[in-house]
Amino acid sequence: MSTAVEPVTAEAAVLPGPRTVRVASGPDGSRGLVLVWRRRPLVVCVVALVVAVAAALVTITAGELGIPLSELPAVVAGQGTRIQHWVLYTTRLPRLLVGAGAGAALAVSGAMFQSVTRNPLGSPDVIGLGAGAAAGAAAAGLVWPGVVPVPVGAVLGAFVAVGAVWFGSGSGFSRPQRLVVVGIAVGAMALAFVQLALARASREDALVIAQWLNGSLAARTWADVRLIVAALVVLLPLALLLTRPLQVVEMGDEAATAVGVRTDPTRTRAVLVAVLLTAAAVSVCGPVAFVALTAPQIARRLTRSSGPGMVAAACTGAALLVVADLVAQYALPEQQLPVGIVTAGLGGVYLVFLLVREFRRSAV
Amino acid sequence: MNVADSPLVADGVTLAYDRLVVARDLDLAVAPGSFTVIIGPNGCGKSTLLRALARTLAPREGRVLLDGAPIDRMRSKDVAKRLALLPQGPIAPEAITVGDLVARGRYPHQGILRQWSAADARAVDAALRATEVDDLRERFVSDLSGGQRQRVWLAMALAQETDLLLLDEPTTFLDIAHQVEVMDLCARLHAEGRTLVAVLHDLNQAARYATHLVAMRDGRVVAQGAPADVVTEPLVQEVFGLASRVVPDPETGTPMVVPLRRTVPGSVQDQVVL
Repeated sequence: MSTAVEPVTAEAAVLPGPRTVRVASGPDGSRGLVLVWRRRPLVVCVVALVVAVAAALVTITAGELGIPLSELPAVVAGQGTRIQHWVLYTTRLPRLLVGAGAGAALAVSGAMFQSVTRNPLGSPDVIGLGAGAAAGAAAAGLVWPGVVPVPVGAVLGAFVAVGAVWFGSGSGFSRPQRLVVVGIAVGAMALAFVQLALARASREDALVIAQWLNGSLAARTWADVRLIVAALVVLLPLALLLTRPLQVVEMGDEAATAVGVRTDPTRTRAVLVAVLLTAAAVSVCGPVAFVALTAPQIARRLTRSSGPGMVAAACTGAALLVVADLVAQYALPEQQLPVGIVTAGLGGVYLVFLLVREFRRSAV
Repeated sequence: MNVADSPLVADGVTLAYDRLVVARDLDLAVAPGSFTVIIGPNGCGKSTLLRALARTLAPREGRVLLDGAPIDRMRSKDVAKRLALLPQGPIAPEAITVGDLVARGRYPHQGILRQWSAADARAVDAALRATEVDDLRERFVSDLSGGQRQRVWLAMALAQETDLLLLDEPTTFLDIAHQVEVMDLCARLHAEGRTLVAVLHDLNQAARYATHLVAMRDGRVVAQGAPADVVTEPLVQEVFGLASRVVPDPETGTPMVVPLRRTVPGSVQDQVVL
C-alpha cells in the first residue's frame, strides 16, 4: 500500500522546493518520519564544512612547528615526534575545535535572535549580549578580581544584560522592535561600564582584559573543547526543534497564532537557548565580534532561503571562525591578532559583498 | 439564533488592550454556514471582537467557545485545524516564495517528525488553485502586487483546511477591482460550504456579500440579522452618525447606502466663484 505515499514523492521531485526524506511510513502514509530538505542549503553546508576542514589542515601544517600533510596520518596514528604530538594535541587541535564550536554556537544564536526580533540587526552583538558579557568580564577581572573567573563573569554579564532587556522592554520579548531598541541602550550602558573599569585599572590588568574583550582563541585547552561541545550537543537539537515555530512567528503574532503556534513561549524558549549558546561561546573564546551577526546572514544569502536555517548557519559560523583564526595567526609576521578583529573584517567584507550583489540584482 | 448550534460563540466577553477596555459583556453567536460580516465605525471594537474569536486576543472576562468548548483550553494546533484567520498586516518573511508561504498554512497538520505529507501537498495545490495564484508558485511574495499578495495570504489560510475562516478587513488597501476580486473569492468559499466571519469597512460591500450582518458601536452589538433588515436609514444614523438614503443596489438588490448631501461651509456647493 505505498500508493498513498507516492504522489508526494513524485510532486516533490518535480518541484524545486521541498524534498522529503522518509524513514518509514504506515499504510496510509500517516506514520513514520518525514523530514523536508532542500538541495541548496545542503550544498552550502557541505561546502562550508569543506572550507572549515581545509582551513583546519592549513592551520595544522602552517608555521615552523607545522606538521606536513604527509606526516599527519603518522602523527595521528601515534608515530610522530613528541613535539609533533604536542603541537597537534595540546595546541592546534583544541584551538581549532573551540573555534569551530564557538563559531557554530554564535551563528545559531545569531540566527535565532534575528528571527525573534525580525531584524537582521537583532543579533546578540547588537542587543547588548556581547557588551553585557564584556561588562561581566571586566567586573570579574578588574573591579572585583578573584570573586569569579573572567569567563564565568562574562556568562553572568550576558544573563544580566538579557534580563535587563527583558525588564526594560516592558513586555518581555513579545515586542521585537522594543527588544532591539532597549538592547542597544543596555549595550551602551554595559560598554560604559567596561570603559570605566578599564580607565581605573592598572595598565597590565587592562591589557589582559582588553585582549580577552577582542575575543581570542589563543591557548585553548581540552576543557574548553569539552565545554563548547557539551553546550552544542544539548542546545543544537533544541534550536532545531524551535526552527519551524520560529519561522512561523516571523510572519507576525496574529498569523502565527492563527496556524497554531504559541508565540510567547516560542520566543522565550528561543531567547533562552540563544543566550546559553552565546554564553558558552563567550566563556571559551571571549565575545568574538560579528560572527553572530554575519554568519546567519551569509548562510541565508548563500542558501537563498527564507527563515533561520540553523544547520547552514552553524556550518557557516564554524567555517568563518576557523578561517578567521587562521588569518589571525599568520596575517602579520611576528604577531598574532585577536580573532575578533579578523571576524569583524572578514565577515563584514564578505557580507557587504553579498549585499551589494543582492541590491544590484534587485535594482535591475 | 441558537447558541448550541453555533460553531463559534463569544460568551459575555470583556475585551481590553492593557487598560483600555474596548467592549464589555459582549455576546455573539456565529450562525453555522453563514457569511457573517461585522460592521461599525472606527474604534467600535469590531476587529477586537474578531481577534478574540480567533483567540489572538484573550478576553479579560467571559469566554469564546469553538464547537461548544472553551477555545483557550484547546491545544493551539487543534484550534488551527478548525479555524483559520486572515489577519491585518501579516509579515511576509524575506525571500519567501508563494508556494512556501502557502505551505506554512499546513503547520497545524505537521509535526517535528512529520514535516510533509501527501495531504499537505494536496491542500497547498487546492489552496493555490482556489485563489488563482498557482502560476505564481515560484515567485517571491515581495514581488507581487497588493491584490495578488492578499490572495496568497488567503491561500495560506485555506491551506489550513478549516470550516471556519475569519477575515480582518481583507479589502483594506486594495483598489476597487482587487476588492471585488477578494470579496467574490470569499463568496465562492462561502458557497462551497465554509462559515466566514469578516470585518469590513465598506457598508455597501458588507450588505452585498453578507448573509448575516452584525452592526457594532461603542463595543456593543446594535443590530444583527439579514442585510435587508439591518441596513436601514435609522440604523446608519445610529451606528455611524450619518444621514443617508438606503436604496436597492441596482446590480444585486441588496441595500445600498447613499450619504445625503450636506451643506458644509467651504464645500463645493457653498463656494462663491470669485
